[in-house]
Amino acid sequence: MKIIKFLLIYLITLILFCQTLLADESKLAKGLEIFNEIAACSACHTLKAAGAEGNVGPNLDTVDLTIESVKEMVTYGLGVMPAYGEDEILTKEQIDIVSFYVVSSVGK
Amino acid sequence: MKKIKNKLNINRRNFLTGTASLAGLAATASMVPITIANANHTEGKKGLPGFISWKNRDALIVHSDKGIETHRSAIGESLITPNRNVYIRNNMPTMTDGQIGDRNNWKVSIQGVKNPKTFTLAQLKKLGHTTIATILQCSGNGRGFFEHKVRGSQWKTGAAACIFWTGVPVKAVVDACGGINKDAVFMTSAGVDHEPTGLDPKKAMVERSVPKKVYKDAMLAWEMNGVPLPNSHGGPLRMVTPGYFGINNVKHLGKVNFSKAESSVKYMKKSYRISPIGKKGSQYPSCWEMPVKSWITRPTDETGTVKAGKVQIVGVAMGGMKKVRSVKVSIDGGKSWKKAKFVGPDLGKYAWRQFAFEANLSSGTYNIASLASNGSDKQPELRMENRRGYAHNGWKDHSVQITVV
Repeated sequence: MKIIKFLLIYLITLILFCQTLLADESKLAKGLEIFNEIAACSACHTLKAAGAEGNVGPNLDTVDLTIESVKEMVTYGLGVMPAYGEDEILTKEQIDIVSFYVVSSVGK
Repeated sequence: MKKIKNKLNINRRNFLTGTASLAGLAATASMVPITIANANHTEGKKGLPGFISWKNRDALIVHSDKGIETHRSAIGESLITPNRNVYIRNNMPTMTDGQIGDRNNWKVSIQGVKNPKTFTLAQLKKLGHTTIATILQCSGNGRGFFEHKVRGSQWKTGAAACIFWTGVPVKAVVDACGGINKDAVFMTSAGVDHEPTGLDPKKAMVERSVPKKVYKDAMLAWEMNGVPLPNSHGGPLRMVTPGYFGINNVKHLGKVNFSKAESSVKYMKKSYRISPIGKKGSQYPSCWEMPVKSWITRPTDETGTVKAGKVQIVGVAMGGMKKVRSVKVSIDGGKSWKKAKFVGPDLGKYAWRQFAFEANLSSGTYNIASLASNGSDKQPELRMENRRGYAHNGWKDHSVQITVV
């Protein structure tokens, strides 16, 4: 009985873990699409994981970033960088996803 | 987690051929062939970017490859900041030798004068010659002390340097053009470093207007601390606007226009405006004249504990638009102040003065502060709160905590 209980808990944990992984995978794939295609962050920023080599804005692989700091920057822009949120170029959900993608990809 | 790679070339092509999504196009109406935009590159997470690999890594704090700060203790104790230690703040990528071409053939057009002309650098060198020392300071120097979330590099004291510039006085250049048009109100300088990026000039061109009177002390500089102006500092030619924040000292200078109106580009109308937190707009003051300011450069919390006994407290002080007249030092966090002495030569009102204060310190913890005055204005205790964290000259935030053993 104990073994069955253990196996059940193990199975549930595994399923939850896999779901999280899949969700993150899908989020990363969407984030990459936003980064390179929808918002074209890649035209101005370097991010090796995305194959991006832009050099107008900071090289994202060299900056200490948090999801919050990226969200803020993407939402309000700075200098030549557009205010993707304020100017409604991206939705809030897209900003969340691309920020998650950038922070997950830095230095990889 | 699996690493996701993309096929960027397809996406780049979409942008260039106009088949990207509408949102993407709206965001990037003038996006760039990346092969051109990536002219300079970075190596290593916290290494120096390739375009400034000649700088002194140990003297610098790398916020990003576009924002690199001088350590508080590395701005130089002989008044002038060595080029290898001078901070980097770039709005546009530094132009390469290839993009610049023959330096003597670099061109700058002068407009808003009786006889508008375009001069090469070689021709400018025949018009006049001068050397001045000025403080180059980013508008956001001290941003790192603000407590509200401010976007941008978190500079503390090191987005500043004192530099000898050599070049031609703007006055000599306008004289060669028959003088400034009578209706001119501003001196508007434009860089050309946005051109290789292909970005929309209205959004990307660094064009800055300052009051016309600035021309009297301004110069077009081709030399920095005795060497040809490095590309990373705006070479081969840069506008120098003494007493004005760094952004007005336009790099890679291509045009000077004595204009009736302020420039309408984003870097003039929207950016570099000192507005209250939560507000923005071109109705707020632009980052122009620098205020009186000082800070301690030794000892600092960067340099470890200090041995008890006689200690030389050293720092720099600037008067902004006026000569700095006095500096006081406090070793008790501003409860009491004593006058420090200026040391070294006076390089003019636009340079900083070095000061020294001798103290006998027993073991303990000290909060050391400095307070400068230019005769009319003195440093406030607190920062002037503002949205973008500009123009911080409050003495309290700039004080240092040291431990004496």
